Amino acid sequence: MISTLSCNQSFLDIKPYGSVSETTLSNEQGANLLLIGAYSLLDGGGATGGNYTIGIGRLRGGDEITQGTETGPSIYNTMLYTEADASIEDRWKFTYAAVNRCNDVLRLLPKVTDSTPQALLQIEAETKFLRGVYYLSLAMFYKNVPWIDETIEYSKKNYFVSNTANIYPQIEADFQFAADNLTETKAQVGRANKWAAKSFLAKTFMFQNKFSEAKTLLEDIIANGQTSNGLKYKLLDRYNDNFITRTKNGSEAVFTVQMSVNDGTTNGNGNYMDRYNGTYGGPATCCYGWGQPTFDYVDAFQTDATKGLPLIDTYQNTPLPTDNGIESNQAFTPYQGTLDSRLDWTVGRRGIPYRDWGVHPGKAWVRNQFNTGPYVVIKNIVEQARVNTDRGTDGASNNPYSLIRFADVLLWAAECEVEAGSLSKAEEYVNIVRARAANPDGFVKKYLDPSDPMKGYSNEPAANYKVGLYNGEFTSQGKSYARKAVFFERRLELGQEWHRFFDMVRFDGRDYDMNANMSWLMQREGKAILNEANNWLLGSFDKTKHAYFPIPLGQIDLSVIDGKSALVQNPGW
Amino acid sequence: MFHPVPFSHYARSLCLMILCAVISTSLLAQSAITIRGSVTDAGNSQTLPGVNILIKDSSQGTTTDAEGNFTISASAGSTLIFSFIGYITQQYVVNSESSLNVKLETDTHALSEVVVTGYSSQQKKDIVGSVAVVNVKELQSVPSRSAGQALQGMASGVNVIRSGVPGNGSKITIRGVTNFGNTDPLVIVDGIQQDINNISSQDIESIQVLKDAGAAAIYGVRGANGVVLITTKKGKSGKPVINFQSTINMVQPLSGNPFNVLNSQEYMQVYNTAFPNNDRFINGMPDYMYRGPGGAGVAKEGDPAVNPSLYHYASPNIGQNYIIQKVNKEGTDWYGAMFKKAITTEQNLSVNGGTEKSKYLFSLGLLDQKGTLIETSLKRYSARVNTEYTLGKHIRVGENLNVIYRDTRGFSENSDFGGIIETVKMPPIVPLYDIKGNYGGTFAGPALGDAQNPIAVQQRNRKNDLVNQWHILGNIYAEVDLFKDFTLRSSLGYNVVNSFNQDFNTTQVENVQGNNSDNSLNINYSFSRMMTFTNLLTYKKNIGDHNISVVVGTEAIENVGRGVSAARERYFSEDFNFMVLNNGTNAITNSSSVSKNSLFSQFGRIDYVFQDKYILGATIRRDGSSVFGPDKRYGIFPSVSAGWRISGEEFMSNLSWIQDLKLRGSWGVLGSQSNVSAVNAFSLFGSGMSTTYYDINGASNAIVQGFGVSRIGNLATGWEENVVTNLGLDMSILNNNLEFSIEYYKKKINGLLFSQPLPAVVIGGATSPSVNIGDIQNTGIDGSVRYRGKIGSDITYNAGVNITSYQNKVVNIPDPGYFFSGGHQGLGSIVRNEEGHPVSSFYGYRVTGLFNSQAEVDAAPTQNSAAPGRFRYEDINGDGVINSDDRTHLGNPNPDFTYGINLNIGYKRFDLGAFFYGSQGNQIFNVTKAYTHFAGYYPTTNMSRDLLNAWTPENTNTNIPKIESVNTFSTAAAPNSFFIENGSFLKMRSLSLGYTFAPHLIQKVNISNLRLFAQIENLFTITKYSGLDPEIIGGDTSSLGLDRGAYPNNEKGFIFGLSVNF
Repeated sequence: MISTLSCNQSFLDIKPYGSVSETTLSNEQGANLLLIGAYSLLDGGGATGGNYTIGIGRLRGGDEITQGTETGPSIYNTMLYTEADASIEDRWKFTYAAVNRCNDVLRLLPKVTDSTPQALLQIEAETKFLRGVYYLSLAMFYKNVPWIDETIEYSKKNYFVSNTANIYPQIEADFQFAADNLTETKAQVGRANKWAAKSFLAKTFMFQNKFSEAKTLLEDIIANGQTSNGLKYKLLDRYNDNFITRTKNGSEAVFTVQMSVNDGTTNGNGNYMDRYNGTYGGPATCCYGWGQPTFDYVDAFQTDATKGLPLIDTYQNTPLPTDNGIESNQAFTPYQGTLDSRLDWTVGRRGIPYRDWGVHPGKAWVRNQFNTGPYVVIKNIVEQARVNTDRGTDGASNNPYSLIRFADVLLWAAECEVEAGSLSKAEEYVNIVRARAANPDGFVKKYLDPSDPMKGYSNEPAANYKVGLYNGEFTSQGKSYARKAVFFERRLELGQEWHRFFDMVRFDGRDYDMNANMSWLMQREGKAILNEANNWLLGSFDKTKHAYFPIPLGQIDLSVIDGKSALVQNPGW
Repeated sequence: MFHPVPFSHYARSLCLMILCAVISTSLLAQSAITIRGSVTDAGNSQTLPGVNILIKDSSQGTTTDAEGNFTISASAGSTLIFSFIGYITQQYVVNSESSLNVKLETDTHALSEVVVTGYSSQQKKDIVGSVAVVNVKELQSVPSRSAGQALQGMASGVNVIRSGVPGNGSKITIRGVTNFGNTDPLVIVDGIQQDINNISSQDIESIQVLKDAGAAAIYGVRGANGVVLITTKKGKSGKPVINFQSTINMVQPLSGNPFNVLNSQEYMQVYNTAFPNNDRFINGMPDYMYRGPGGAGVAKEGDPAVNPSLYHYASPNIGQNYIIQKVNKEGTDWYGAMFKKAITTEQNLSVNGGTEKSKYLFSLGLLDQKGTLIETSLKRYSARVNTEYTLGKHIRVGENLNVIYRDTRGFSENSDFGGIIETVKMPPIVPLYDIKGNYGGTFAGPALGDAQNPIAVQQRNRKNDLVNQWHILGNIYAEVDLFKDFTLRSSLGYNVVNSFNQDFNTTQVENVQGNNSDNSLNINYSFSRMMTFTNLLTYKKNIGDHNISVVVGTEAIENVGRGVSAARERYFSEDFNFMVLNNGTNAITNSSSVSKNSLFSQFGRIDYVFQDKYILGATIRRDGSSVFGPDKRYGIFPSVSAGWRISGEEFMSNLSWIQDLKLRGSWGVLGSQSNVSAVNAFSLFGSGMSTTYYDINGASNAIVQGFGVSRIGNLATGWEENVVTNLGLDMSILNNNLEFSIEYYKKKINGLLFSQPLPAVVIGGATSPSVNIGDIQNTGIDGSVRYRGKIGSDITYNAGVNITSYQNKVVNIPDPGYFFSGGHQGLGSIVRNEEGHPVSSFYGYRVTGLFNSQAEVDAAPTQNSAAPGRFRYEDINGDGVINSDDRTHLGNPNPDFTYGINLNIGYKRFDLGAFFYGSQGNQIFNVTKAYTHFAGYYPTTNMSRDLLNAWTPENTNTNIPKIESVNTFSTAAAPNSFFIENGSFLKMRSLSLGYTFAPHLIQKVNISNLRLFAQIENLFTITKYSGLDPEIIGGDTSSLGLDRGAYPNNEKGFIFGLSVNF
């Protein structure tokens, strides 16, 4: 026995259980499996660092406040975070985990021998598309990030890559490759097609202020683009249909993250980043009551009573009455003036039907008005009629989230036209977006029976909505006005869809002063909050420092080679 | 036996032997006579059953009966040898007298004691490695629920942090922490690796702790954290001896207000300071709180909003619940509701006996421990069968079998969420029960926070949890004596664990979070098996002055583990009997796991003693392990040790007060693979429904499989080598009444196994490989001293102290030379392991005081959020700005030294014992202060009464910052020295009084020995620490000394027990 054991090398030669090596995956099916793995991180969860904290991106925009807890506005709203912040590092880790999944596919492809060049090309193009999506997010959040591609490997010890080079050319190259090679439609709606790639390329141009390159591309997209399930790009008739599951993947969905719940996992594939946002108390309660919209954001939806246009420069002078500090059993009359119809598909507020859950009673559904104000989110909230299929156990929903929807494309096009000086063309694009918002069919309506919201809706709008089209104002009032109008339209149309802060950074200097605006906002919010000692009043914004997140201190420390880190900290930190 | 080596170390028996020798040679052989007599303990005159009596140079013998009596036939002039474990062997030469009463002296200095060391045994006097021999009698006299607990303070060089949670293990480290992962020593029980926390201290015959390489290197790759060798009791030849021991322990929870929290009135005062004009106390203290579909509020008596007819309770809450609770105006004592008096009982029954050819021991143990924390408990049933048979003259076969069943309801230890700190998080105004008798909680009322009613969690969820484990372990062995001096031994052992866990979570209707969540049931089943196959060849020979022993052997170890787990949600009934997975309707999940690793080793050991003065030892082991790649698979671990018994030299012979003086030293290499995954060498891809699947079809309720990288492999990873140097001095003087031992050691880790810290850009979502980088170095001194004496003829006493000290230093870790661990949600990372500093140092900003005015703020270095009433930090680098460069090392959780003190006094039939345990020079980072001293984290938590003395512009003579609703960098949003406390303590672990009945009183009822005893456990703790208990058990190394609300391990217990022999 002794000798048999000592001679038997196989006793010590144990292969791993429950996992596979690259060899097992080196075939077309394996490459596809890895590609699905790369797609799967679009929902914001599923790898290290991935959870709700990667939703911190939206907290800085001034459109929403914080996690709506008893602790008040978050340190991200109020720019009180430090370079050692764990959530900021988590987002970095998560996004690079996603980049790595893409690189794993690209490394595997040359080893696949059982496939066709056409099939492999589609896999490669989809992978590069995804890598572009993840890198664009990194560039938006941190700006100066290292470009890690499939040539960087642990075993080659070449992973200390500097973050000083501009990576936009590489992002463009990935999207260009995808745009050149992807097919126009896909058998599976979740996959990226040629037009999604072109749209992301356009977005990449927008983030570099390459308006002329973007303009050409956007015109092509608007004229010829279609979704991966073969629908020609077009705004949906009803604004809200973009945000609910039963009408998802329509003609406006340029590239949508496919959320799934009640799929065998507890929460694994739902909308991670919004799972704690919602009401707190009342029938719709699912969540932690986080993600409450700000006062200023709601004020911005006022419209001119005669023309129905937004009060771009003046809305701040007429703050809306709110039910802040008013008990649900005390009387309150919602604002009777004219409002943009998109408000009530974006913000839950007292006296207005909250999807099919009932008339929002104000304080009763708000976690902590005293610290975080009276409003709650809507876009990620499921419909009561479909709650059993659309909501997972812990509040995650399968409500779709479009990384790009066609309205975004139209407003980029408008922006490019403004920069090119063709103001009437810009107005035309903006009006397409506004016309949809003006469509009474898409308004929030009062219930047939407020005591039984599931019975359905009357034809009576829930509030005094008035949305009008621009009628030559762009040309008559000039470029500066047009810029502000486009920028304002983005705020109204794309609210709470994670774009606002990045738009602010992009627009700064173009008839928009981000420092001044943020400083004003912090005072506005800080004084509206009932708790006098709140974070808003402690914060201050300095664009040089806060336009981008700091490079996470932990990652700088981990990248030290020969006593010096490969990563250089961002300015101001 | 009578070769002319001076046995000065046991002079008493030597004199006796010489006397015997003289007598025996002067008398002529005579015919056989029958001798009757008894054997008693010379100290307390107890009779001793089971004493072996052998006629020298013959195979004839007998043992004393249950009353300690014997009868033997021997010829005059022959020599009788009386031997009994724990006593000094005595010899009597038979003369004409037919009655003989022998008194055996306790062998307290025990230099001749045979001690089990790695794969062999040695006389204690010949040991030159560092081996702590535990005094088992003392170990068994300290109240404990397991051997792991009992070991605390019993051996120098061994640090034990006990856990108060029923069923949780103790944290044992030998000579300090020397890695960032698993620091548990290897525990070998009867040759098989076993969990020390599953063994009752009553089952133990001996414990040795191997601390240095000279002793432990024979365990090679398993020996780096030290080795604890336990031998369990075995049968002794003779009539069956039945021993029964029973104890009852009544444990009292900590009394008073352990977290020093506010009552309701004080709470209102503090809360109103932090949140002026808040909803809750806007009209003073309300009578009721409620929440319904129309919102939450407070009310006075008679308010229609709290009309009981509105009350509605459904689970889960679909938005219709209307819950009303009455404000507890005195303040709910959540701690007091959570902790109740609890009783622990333990029974041990053993039967042993046998003949010269067959010996057996059968024992049963029953531990029924209730934790003071409600619904926590441990039931442990254990059975042991140890037998040995001698076949012919030269073959012995035997087995050790131990079957343990555990039924545990534990508690999360030292946790930020779901732990004891929940008793602080609950506001005092919330009642235990609402107006209809359902649990009170944070649902019914405005902004009551998100804490869970901990009483509800325990009584409703944990009460129905099942954690059932079967441990079946044992070995069979055969020993063959070959030729004259060789012994071949082969042993095959298994340690099998079967575990079943069931965890049901009900909907927390009373909690504002989760009141609409579905209930869920999780079930885990796992099986693990460890095989140990050991083959040894031993050679022992005395040739004149030369004493040689050699052991060579091989060992094969294989670990296999399998597990299955499954869960479902949404059960329409929460009846326990309804709880099978089939009845759940949603979130149906299942998974399984497999693991396997193996080790094959060859080893050898040689011990050589010349003239009983010069001692040399050497070991070598070659290990092959499956966890490393083929190129790094084998490692070789050598050690050498040497000793010089100075007292044996001629020049010492006139120093008669020195019985023994020995100088010894060792050097060697220990290995470790304990922080390496079995698949460390492989790069792997894995699949998970939540992590790699995606709804690529847009189906909304269905996902498609994907894969992602799960681990990066490293083929170059090899052993971690611990190079240990040890120097020791042992002394035994004053007739062996004073024993003294001191050791110095240095332990240096080469190629510390370390989960490689990789930037996210390359590691992505994968697991880092463990690699050999880094070095930690420990140096220290262990010492022990024991004195025993007598006053008159009735009083005996002994006192022992042992001490463990170590200096711990991180010598080298990869760039940037440090890494962070151990953090808190609000404070951030607290622990930084850095070159030149001890492992697990606390790191952050040093508070120099509070700002008292805006002028002070303006004059001070620029500091984020600086304001009057907030912390002023030290500008460490003096650059006029407080930023992350001003963080510094704030404290060290590693003690300067720990110590155990044993005092025993015997007076006639009474015995009085006391045991103290202390730790000196360690700091604690009191994380609980984040909740108790700041209103900014979870501002609805209760808070400390210290806040009544918080800073205000008028009250500046305080160290408590101002009460405010936000946490900032300048208060509790950054780790700082406000949280650091002195963690030194001295505990009186036990005070015990026993009485042993005189034999003549109990012999009539066939009892040979009866002892009654009473003990007080944890009579007092001397400490400056403000938390519940300064003895804090952490998880791993990363959270040493972080008190997140650790389960107290200093609760008083009152113990009564009896021990009886039949």
